[in-house]
Amino acid sequence: MARSAKAVPWFLFAAGGTITAFVLPVMLFVTNIAPPIGLFSNAMSWETMHGFVENWLVKLVLLGIIGFGVWHAAHRLRVCAHDFGLRADTVVAYVVYALAGIGTLATIWALLMI
Amino acid sequence: MGARRPYKRTMSRTSWFLTHARFKSYMLHEASSIFVALYMWLLIDGLFRLAKGPEAWAAWIAFIKHPLVVVISLIAFAFFIVHTMSWFKAVPQAMRIQTGEHFVDGKLIIGGHYAALGAFSLFVLILAGVA
Repeated sequence: MARSAKAVPWFLFAAGGTITAFVLPVMLFVTNIAPPIGLFSNAMSWETMHGFVENWLVKLVLLGIIGFGVWHAAHRLRVCAHDFGLRADTVVAYVVYALAGIGTLATIWALLMI
Repeated sequence: MGARRPYKRTMSRTSWFLTHARFKSYMLHEASSIFVALYMWLLIDGLFRLAKGPEAWAAWIAFIKHPLVVVISLIAFAFFIVHTMSWFKAVPQAMRIQTGEHFVDGKLIIGGHYAALGAFSLFVLILAGVA
């Protein structure tokens, strides 16, 4: 049977889709909906958040969420581009996967600095 | 004879999905990726600011509180719910669990996912609340 490279982005897409499905609604609520209404102001303070993210287990979890999240979004955006009428798939694929790669490396970099 | 009759596509390349309810719901959950990508970008930026110090972090929080960002966040929240619901809906097709002769009912698998989602969300909210 011919080997296909499709398994790699598909695995990343599926893993990212599952992780984001469980995590993103509540995570977005805490980071983006709560601050404007004055909720969780202590949790979202620099001192608390910095202390929380300093933990290596938390760093690993965040890398899992963001790392798989960007690859999931990249793969879906590639399909979206096609569906919205942009048919230059090879170029689109390079752009979205390159951005996902940069996003993953940037996440690792930022986490190592905390 | 002889008159040219070139093929004319009847389906629009950019708005084909508006022709059928099923296509609309497909595009709705596919489009959630735009907001997932934006949110991931925002989070990565937030991590860099967290590393930089309290002032950089305060600027990030101020950005989050900007009315335009709040509106985009609310739209993103709706899209994330769409993503979660459509993803869970597809799980029984991707994950078949066999017990003896039978497969576990798809509704049970989806229900389990919602239970886990509720438990995890509650855990995060309590964690954020007591912090």
